[in-house]
This record gives sequence, structure tokens and C-alpha cells, in this order.
Amino acid sequence: MEKKQYTSPIAEEFAYEMRRQTRKAKIINYAPVGVLAFFFALLSAIAPGFLSLYNFRTILNQLSVPLVMTMGLTFVILLGCTDLSGEGLGGFCGCLVTLLVINTKNANDFGAPAFLIAICCGLAVGLFSGFIHVKGKIPSFMVTYAISSIMSGFAVMSYRGQPAMAKDPLLTKITSGSVLGIPYLTVASLLVFVAAFFLQNYTRFGAYVMAIGDNEAVARNTGVNVDRIKMKVFIWAGFCIGVSGVISAIRVARGDVGLGKDTVFPAITAVVVGGTTLTGGKGGVVNSLVGALIVTIINNGLILMGVNMYIRSALQGVIIIIAVALSVNRGKKVIVK
Amino acid sequence: MGKNILFTARNITKKYPGTMALKDVSAELFSGEVVGLVGENGAGKSTLLKIIMGNEQPTEGVMTMHGIPFAPKTPIEANNMGVGMVFQEQSLIQNLTVGQNIFFGMEDKYTRFCVLNKRKMHEDASRILEDMRLNHIRADRKVSSLEFATRQMVEICKVFHVVKRSGLDSCLILLDEPTSVLSDGEVRNLFENIRLITAEGHTVIFVSHRLDEVLEISDRIIVFKDGEKVDEVLTAEADESILYEKMVGRTASGEYYKVSDQVEPGGEVLLETRDLGRRGYFRNVNLTLHAGEILGICGVVGSGKEDLCAVLCGDESPTSGQLLVRGEGKKFGAPQAALKNGILSIPKERREESIIASASVSENIAMSNFGNISKIGLISKKLEKAQAENYRGKMHIRASSLDQKVGFLSGGNAQKVVFARALASDADILILNHPTRGVDVGAKEEIYSLIRSLAVQGKGCVLLGDTLDECIGLSNRLLVMKDGEVTRECDASPGNKPEQVDIVKYMM
Repeated sequence: MEKKQYTSPIAEEFAYEMRRQTRKAKIINYAPVGVLAFFFALLSAIAPGFLSLYNFRTILNQLSVPLVMTMGLTFVILLGCTDLSGEGLGGFCGCLVTLLVINTKNANDFGAPAFLIAICCGLAVGLFSGFIHVKGKIPSFMVTYAISSIMSGFAVMSYRGQPAMAKDPLLTKITSGSVLGIPYLTVASLLVFVAAFFLQNYTRFGAYVMAIGDNEAVARNTGVNVDRIKMKVFIWAGFCIGVSGVISAIRVARGDVGLGKDTVFPAITAVVVGGTTLTGGKGGVVNSLVGALIVTIINNGLILMGVNMYIRSALQGVIIIIAVALSVNRGKKVIVK
Repeated sequence: MGKNILFTARNITKKYPGTMALKDVSAELFSGEVVGLVGENGAGKSTLLKIIMGNEQPTEGVMTMHGIPFAPKTPIEANNMGVGMVFQEQSLIQNLTVGQNIFFGMEDKYTRFCVLNKRKMHEDASRILEDMRLNHIRADRKVSSLEFATRQMVEICKVFHVVKRSGLDSCLILLDEPTSVLSDGEVRNLFENIRLITAEGHTVIFVSHRLDEVLEISDRIIVFKDGEKVDEVLTAEADESILYEKMVGRTASGEYYKVSDQVEPGGEVLLETRDLGRRGYFRNVNLTLHAGEILGICGVVGSGKEDLCAVLCGDESPTSGQLLVRGEGKKFGAPQAALKNGILSIPKERREESIIASASVSENIAMSNFGNISKIGLISKKLEKAQAENYRGKMHIRASSLDQKVGFLSGGNAQKVVFARALASDADILILNHPTRGVDVGAKEEIYSLIRSLAVQGKGCVLLGDTLDECIGLSNRLLVMKDGEVTRECDASPGNKPEQVDIVKYMM
């Protein structure tokens, strides 16, 4: 039988072009690891005391809050949404913990269950944000920003002006303890990472989150309950924010609304620097772990070098813009708002 | 051999505002056959597939599947009745594995205590891939790391699996242009699989612009034109030329396209391309556009004509060759650079690309040409109104006032506003991309007159017609494109208009 020719030269060109783009995408996928290695080497060389066992412990300590926060945000961003509620909600959960354990403001002494109550509170608020976003069809950044503002207000009201100091010996026990040299709080944050990794890779939920972020119409047409998955994502994000608020409160033993301050932006930076795109469907929790490490070691290195916090904040802004610039698809016809 | 009727459609009609996408289509499909659907773009093939798949509901008519009434509201309902479709655009989730994609939406079998057993999923997926002789595709790879053509095969595999899983003896699989990105070997593999699956009693509807493929794989061919089913032929009794004859639409009179107003183009060359190409889309395009000339470009979707237009009006960049405007080589970074050189496009998707629905008629007309109506850098509302008033009279734009929002105008009137903007901008090279799309018949004729008057004024137009007949009727000269290359160039002066059949031959 004669061999019929189906493909045209232009189709071959197209296939070649697609191959090129796939290759490029692969390189970009591994770029965050390269960036981490680069900064690690650079800071080892220039930041005094960076390369020491003591400092690694410090880094692990500093990693805990951004890592937990990032694990929640990763799922939200994988959907293509945003969650900005961390500042207010994290602060509120932190305040709540200090008011429930032995403290200077009241006679409460819930002990360890206080942590659970505060975390559940974060989870409930996450459900509320998700519900408003999904059912009210209000953009997630707006809903969560408003929620953040509301929860900051509640946080201040909860301690009526003067923040509570935690007096519970349990807290000092937690902050000073460690397993295999890793602080308890960092262990907790790593457990959240493991849970997130499991959720993403070994549950239906994780697969559906990816699908919704990549192509919501396909997910809908396959019978996925998109609204419910989205709400679950916000619940998970609320849970992570709750955990991070509790960790912050345990560390400083003081329930101030400021606990949540400057936690959201570094977390978003970490997610994006790790290679999860803001448009959704690409990236994941491993990327975010790398991103959180990058953000943390840079911050740590700058502190060691004596750079003041305003310059650090400015640098963080620069980093996020560069990271987003590298990760987004900027074809001529792409419209960005 | 006894044939079982699997699917029937009776008097299916689909109306959209202003147009009739399908008119009274009836068909019967038997178990185990491959039916080819052929027809020009807009002939109604895709609409019919969407209706069968539950993406759209028919305005009139009924369907049956396995002898019982079938009126799917969603693709899932269609899937449950054993109907599956491979879409032109791929619907795989990039960041999941091949296996996860194949079993997407049916993870129940692989979930225990909320844990997904991926290994088992990948094993089962490998078996499905092997059944389709796609052993080289690994089920645990992420889709994003696969080649484009491989992804298409996975997509096909997924749909085959979905319908087979319904457990019915015979299912219906719709393939809409499945081969456009496949290599030769993959097309052959697909055909083998189609034969295997039909041997099991399933039925396949195969839609393609490539007639040779349709002739090779199908048992019967249904021909569509202008939303109607015009004929049904056994493949054994058909060849390409018979199909060409059947699928070309009516030829309207020369009067309809105002052929008597067609002018002989002037000598001045406005636009010229030399071996122009955009990698992966089109290549080696040589065209010249003279003053007063209407140059029609014919081709099916995917022939590269749309991409050529995008390059001409500065929306995309070429990767090879030259673009000359009045003899001078140019490179456009963006549409505004093209406009500075007198090139303006009238885009295809009016609502998305050319009108601002919430702005008034006069504001929309002023859009590309604020220079005309500004005084010391500020917009003069008076001049803006005057300009709009002028064009409203000239072009018979029917709007309650010039302040009316364009979103409330009919398609035809909104399009006239777009033309008014183009005229006011003083551009002398116009890229008309489906200028009569979604416009009612009366307004169409007015737009034809308008295009003629543009030519009389010495402007050059590159035209992508809404139908082939329109393209031939309006143009002075025609370029035919296929698979990204110009396959024919011919004269279309009055009295010398080519037959549609002769053009279709070079398109498919």
C-alpha cells in the first residue's frame, strides 16, 4: 500500500515550536532550585555567620511561619485566586491563643486545647471567606482583604486595647524544645507541609484543584463540583493561617494584632518565587517549600549583614516583581489587568 | 448484515440571534460505522456536534440514542448515554499525569479512605494505552512534559475510555478535527484504533477539513452547507471532486455583491509582502495590494489566513520575510504602529475586539482618531459629535441618538460604527476580517456598498470573507491558502469570477 503523506511542513514547524516551548517550560520549572542554590552560595560567601549550625537553627525558626502560611496560599493560588486574609486572621488567631492560655488579662487556662480552638477559628473564617467568594461571586482578593480588616478589628476588641501576655509555662516548653535539633515549631510547620504534599498529590481534592486552576470549564464539564472544591481550598487556607497565627503567638508569648503583620506578602512572594503561577494550575507545594526557603534565607542573610528592615522590605518587593516577570506568559495578545 | 440504528436526529434546527446555524437536519447512524462530516466553515458541523454533546440545546427537533429519547443538557449526561467527544482544543489538565487525566472525574475506584492509589491508576492507564497501541506513552508522566501530538493521542484515548466505560455495547464518539496536529504515524495509529473500536460495534463521527482522510476512514459521508444537510453518500461512491461540488454554497447574483461597482485597481502598490512567514502558522506568503483593490484570502480555519491578518495589522510579529508599505520595509511592534502607517483592521469578534459596548456611538467613532477632534490636546465634544453626525448620515447608522451606547445597537449598525471609525482614521489599507459576521441580510448589503465605496476612494482592502461566495463576489483578486501556504492566486474581476468549486479544491 502506498504511504500517504498527511502532515504539511507548517504542521512540522508548529510541532517544533511546541517542543521548544515545552523545553523552555522545563527549564523554568527547575529554575527556583537554581535560585535557591545561588543565594545559598552567595550568602555563604558574603554574609558573616551565615554558614553556621547556630544560624541554620535560626533559619529553621524563621522558616516556620512563612512555610505554614505558604502551604495554605499555594492551593489558593493554584486555583488562580488570592487569599490576603492572613494579616488580620493570623493576628486574631494569635490573640485568641494568648487569651485562652494562662495570661495577664483573664483567668483562662485551657492549656493545649487553646491551640485547637484558635486553629478551628481560622478554619471557620476561611470557610466564610470561601463561601462569600464562591456564592457571592466576589473576587477573592477583595473578600479576603475585607476579612483581614474585619478580623484585625476583632483582634483588638478581643483584648480591649492592651494585648495579653501569655504566662503559660507550656509555651516556653514548646519554644525551647526540639527534636534532632529541629525546633518543635518548625517540626509543626514541616508537618503542615507533609499534609499539604499529601493533599496535593494523593487525594482527589489535589487533582481537582490543579484542574480548576488550569481549565475550570473542563473541570465543570467533567462533573467536578467546582464551588465546593474552591470552598474547601479556602478552609484549608484558613486552617494554615490559624496554625501560623498560633505559632507566632507561641513564639513571642504576646497576643498582639501585629502578629499577622508582614506575613502575607512574604508568603505570596515565596509561592511565586517557587514557581507557582498567579494564574493557577501550575506549580505546587514543593515549589512553595523551595520558595519559602529562598525568601527566608535572603531575609536571614540581610539581617546578618545588618541591612535595615525598610531596605529588606523594599528588596522583597523587587524580588516578587522579578519572580512574576520570569514566570508569566507574556505573549503579545495576553491581556493583563 | 443486519444494521442496528444507534442514533437518530430528527429535524434538528438551531437558531442564534440573527442567524440560523442548523436548518432541519435529520440523520441516522448505525452501530459500527464511521460517518464523515464535511462542509465549509460555518456549514453547521460544529453546531451539530455541540448539540449531540449537550453543550448546546437545539431550538427544534429531537434525537434518540439506543432507541430512547436523548436530550443531553450537559456533556456528562451525554457521556452517561455513551457519547463522547474529542474537542478541537485540548482539554487535558497539564499539571496532572496521563493516568490522572484518563481517569479524571472517576477517581472513586482508586480512592480508599481519601487516599488516591496512583500506582494502580497508572497501571490501569498503561493497560488502556497499550490497548490502543500507545505503549510509548508513559501513564505516570505529567501531560505538560509531553509533545503536543502525544497529548492529542492521550485526549483521544481518554474519550475512547470514557465511552467504553459506560458499559453499553455501542457508543458514539465524536472526533472534531482530531488530526490537525498529528504526525503521519499518529494519524495511521488513530485510524487503526477507529477501525478497532468500530469493529466492536461503536460508532464514530469524524469531522475533518482533510477530505483525503475522510474518504479513507469513513463508510458514509454527510455533506453540510449553510446549516443544511445537503447530501449523504457512501464513501465507495464518492471522490474528492464529487464532495467539492456538493459542499459549496449557493452562488448569489453579482448584483448582491455590487459587482457593477467593482473598480479596476490603480497602479500604486500599497502593501506588499515578500516570503512573509510566522513559524508554525504560515510561510512564504507573497502578496501585493494595490490602491482601490479588494484582495480576498480564502482558506479553512487553521489555514493560516487569520494569522497572516494578525501579522499584517501588527498584532503579531512575523518570523521571516518582509512587509512593505508603499515600497518601504516595515516592522510593527503593535497595532498602533500599523495604524501610523495607514493600516487598520476591522476584527472578526466585534463585541470583543472592536467596539466598546458601554461607550456611545460618537465616542466609538472617535476611538482611533482623536487627532481629528482634539484642540490643544483636549478632546472637543463638539467636534466629536460633528464627526459622528457626518458618518451617521453617510452610512445610515440607525441609532436613537449619537449618545446611545453601541452595545444596544444591532450587529449591522454596530459594524457600521466600526467602519465609520476606520474611515475617520484616514487609514488607506484596511484588513477586513469577516466584516459581515453576525450581521443581518439588509445590513450586509449596505456593508458591501460601503466596501465598494472604500475601493472607489482608492483604499486597499484585504478581505477574509464570511463565506467563500462573499469573498469571491467582493474581491478583485483571490489568494487561496492551505496548511499555511498560498496554494493558488487568481483573478476575480467582473465577468471573470471563478467558480466556488475551483477555489474549494485548493482549500482542502
